[in-house]
Amino acid sequence: MKNKRQMLWSALLKGYGVLFLVFLYLPLGLIVAFSFNANPINVAEWTGFTLDWYATIFQGASVEGNFDAAFTESPERIFDVIRTSFVVALSAASAATVIGTATALALARHKFFGKRFYQALLLLPMLVPDIVLGIALLIFFVGVGIELGLMTIIIGHVTFLSSYVFVVVSARLAGMDTTLEQASADLGAGPLTTFRRVTLPQIMPGVVGGFLLAFIISLDDVVITYFIAGVGSQTLPLFILAMMRRGLRPQITALAVLILLFSLIVASIGLILRNRKP
Amino acid sequence: MAGDRFMAARKRNALLLLLAPISIILGIFFLIPLGIVVVYSFLEPGLYGGVEWTWYPYNYGRILGWPLNDYEEFDPIYLKIFATSLKYALMTVVFSLLICYPAAFWVSRRSERWKGFVLFLITLPFFASLLIRIYAWLLLLRPTGFVNTALEAAGIISQPLDLLFSGTAVVLGMVYIFTPFMFLPIYANVEKLDFSLVRASQDLGASPIQTFLRVILPLTAPGMVAGSIIVFIPALGNFIVPSLLGGAKVQMTGNLIERSFLQSRDWPFGSALALLIMASVVVVLMIQTVKAGRAKGGRPA
Amino acid sequence: MGFLQILSARKVYQTPEGSSVQALDDVTINIRNNEFLTLLGPSGCGKTTLLKCIAGFEDLDGGDLILDSKSLRSVPPHKRPFNTVFQNYALFPHMTVEQNVAYGMEVAGVSKVERDRRAGEALDLVGLSGFGGRRPTQLSGGQQQRVALARSLVLKPKVLLLDEPLSALDRKMRETMQIELKNLQHAVGITFVFVTHDQEEALAMSDRIAVLAQGRLQQLDTPTEVYDKPANEFVANFVGTSNMFAGTVASISGDRVILETGNGRRLAATSTAFRVGDQVRLVLRPEHLTILARDETGDADVPAIEGRVRETVFVGSTMQVHADIGHGRTALVSHPHTRRGSSDIAPGAEVRIGYSAASGHLIPMRSA
Repeated sequence: MKNKRQMLWSALLKGYGVLFLVFLYLPLGLIVAFSFNANPINVAEWTGFTLDWYATIFQGASVEGNFDAAFTESPERIFDVIRTSFVVALSAASAATVIGTATALALARHKFFGKRFYQALLLLPMLVPDIVLGIALLIFFVGVGIELGLMTIIIGHVTFLSSYVFVVVSARLAGMDTTLEQASADLGAGPLTTFRRVTLPQIMPGVVGGFLLAFIISLDDVVITYFIAGVGSQTLPLFILAMMRRGLRPQITALAVLILLFSLIVASIGLILRNRKP
Repeated sequence: MAGDRFMAARKRNALLLLLAPISIILGIFFLIPLGIVVVYSFLEPGLYGGVEWTWYPYNYGRILGWPLNDYEEFDPIYLKIFATSLKYALMTVVFSLLICYPAAFWVSRRSERWKGFVLFLITLPFFASLLIRIYAWLLLLRPTGFVNTALEAAGIISQPLDLLFSGTAVVLGMVYIFTPFMFLPIYANVEKLDFSLVRASQDLGASPIQTFLRVILPLTAPGMVAGSIIVFIPALGNFIVPSLLGGAKVQMTGNLIERSFLQSRDWPFGSALALLIMASVVVVLMIQTVKAGRAKGGRPA
Repeated sequence: MGFLQILSARKVYQTPEGSSVQALDDVTINIRNNEFLTLLGPSGCGKTTLLKCIAGFEDLDGGDLILDSKSLRSVPPHKRPFNTVFQNYALFPHMTVEQNVAYGMEVAGVSKVERDRRAGEALDLVGLSGFGGRRPTQLSGGQQQRVALARSLVLKPKVLLLDEPLSALDRKMRETMQIELKNLQHAVGITFVFVTHDQEEALAMSDRIAVLAQGRLQQLDTPTEVYDKPANEFVANFVGTSNMFAGTVASISGDRVILETGNGRRLAATSTAFRVGDQVRLVLRPEHLTILARDETGDADVPAIEGRVRETVFVGSTMQVHADIGHGRTALVSHPHTRRGSSDIAPGAEVRIGYSAASGHLIPMRSA
């Protein structure tokens, strides 16, 4: 009797779990499936398989027979936007990785007055709503006369990405056996050698994971970039946002699938690295 | 000892070197800008954008209700919009909580091999572009979207339902994008839950409902609180979701801030609105800190 | 003059609650060349702190550390000619066994050929030749222990510091390693400073034992002296088990001391350090006490202790007899069970407990 009830609960829970995953993945799956849909008017109504939407992103204007859905953006423009996004994400994530790792080392391996202040300060950029940070940086950059553009986007991203890297690397450092560093010193290695030969290899998965996380978040950031990008430089999310506001076109779906694919691959690498045991 | 002092100095130099970059970045590009927002919120907006450097509490007056002069009437529209934002943020919290709580139990009961994989699957969408996840719902909900097309095909409806550009669409979109934020803290808590306590409760004669209310719920509450806070903060200040899924019909404070900065160029007013959001966040965090502190220190030693 | 001198070492820790703890309080030890010195004490006694201060992971707050008449206080850990075997071994998980052993030589700039040769020798020494290519995680606890030893010994340190290296091993393995470590120390001729809380381990392995408690050095002596002549009540209780009687010295003839306890019990001991009227404690080890057979008289001028058996515990080599001896006191007697009279020992039996005055050791009463 009791076992039966337990089995029922267990089955219900299992069914619910499957529903939960469907809820997470069905919308994404639908975009992927229907990015190959030939119907230019209604993305939801399947009228046949096509690769046109992918082709038009990179070839520009009309593909035979689909004049209605002519894609107004030139391929040069798209490549330009993608390049901007990558330059921003690579520079911001690299800088944030160095800064976040250095901070994590300082807080994990040193005792000093004001440590708790730093611990709280590093959590703040993750707790302040994006929009507040966005407008704060906008007012600041305009106020001190720094022209909005690539540089301001990178700086803006570094401010909050450093915190993410800090958290990831700190977790790794906390799991690391500190006697390994003592053992290295004990065997005659100086502080720099110890860092290079023992600490860094031990925290490397955290550092790489932190970098990838920062890279993805930077690549995907809309809100903060929205306020500090200025007119000259547009990142991929801003470009897509502008397109979505102008109206839905099948090419957006195709582009969305490509971005989705890219970020999921990078994220998978990051997650797998992070889960590897020290 | 001179040698000791030398070693201490070297250690201090290393520490300074490690802390310098973060101090510069967060000092100059985070703390100072936030301070400027506070200052701006008390300045008079200039005629064509910009600010006048005079004391001007009326930015808050416009929101909270003390008019600039006698013949102006107070319009509580901004308070109403703020109330709407609070409502949607809270609804987002409640629904994602309801969705994630059982899911956390489901994952924690999987075998070790599956657990890693399922966790990976649940975490992954967090890294998928936010815009694209919202875009998916745009395609689902619009009049010619998947939901309407499917319902029409099944003969349930004859006219497409007006799903998009509503509060429901906004809450649904926010629940979808914030689900991983809610799931992970709850899961971390549920995973730690010692199931022998559940068995002990049953063994002592408690019914399943009593066991849930008296044992499971209190033990998993910290994860639920943490998840709720992590979801509430970005939901309250959100402007991307309401502007894409809410259209002109749904206004949240985030949309007002955006317009103050990029359209009407009334930066002081936008700053005041942003600080209203910040104040709500601070209040939530303070309540949490006080409660956590009490839970920790409340027990007699 | 010692070879490594610890002079009035002091170390204070701040607890998170804000109070301070004296981890080392005026500790002076002269460590001799080539000796096996054990720092023994309960957890929190300061032994590990002292080891860390020698290695250089902690700075002394006062006092000095002198090697070959030079102070080490300003020498950072990586420049001290000491090596440590850590409690958890601290083997680098991202390196192979051989890379671990060669690490110290590598950072010192030893040539690859020389490194390989010496690492091979070191692994031979600890009986792990052929394991060089493995990862530390692929080894058993005992094997990891040997790698840690090889990694330290290969650098030929002036002193090898061992921080409870056997505590993670099971009992059988620990006993094997005790003998191996002792043999190894003889073979390499290096000074070993060994930290443990296990008094049996300390007695079995050491040339000398430094007993520490609450940051202070209690006694520094050979194992037999520490066991037979504990310097104070703490050592008597911590090293081995003791029956202790407080009393006043009543009479002295030669080195024979008779003391009288508050209950009027008269007991005998051997000592020349006290005068009539001194407040003292008598330490009698359980194995120095015997249950006398009915016709046995024991030592002529030592009065036997009358008692009643409360409980007996058979532990294999001996019978542990707990006997009530009046005034609420219990005596613990370690009685060889092959000895005469064993059959009479049963709970409730009236017994007489004998001992020789030579085995009675006197320590000063701790000032109240």
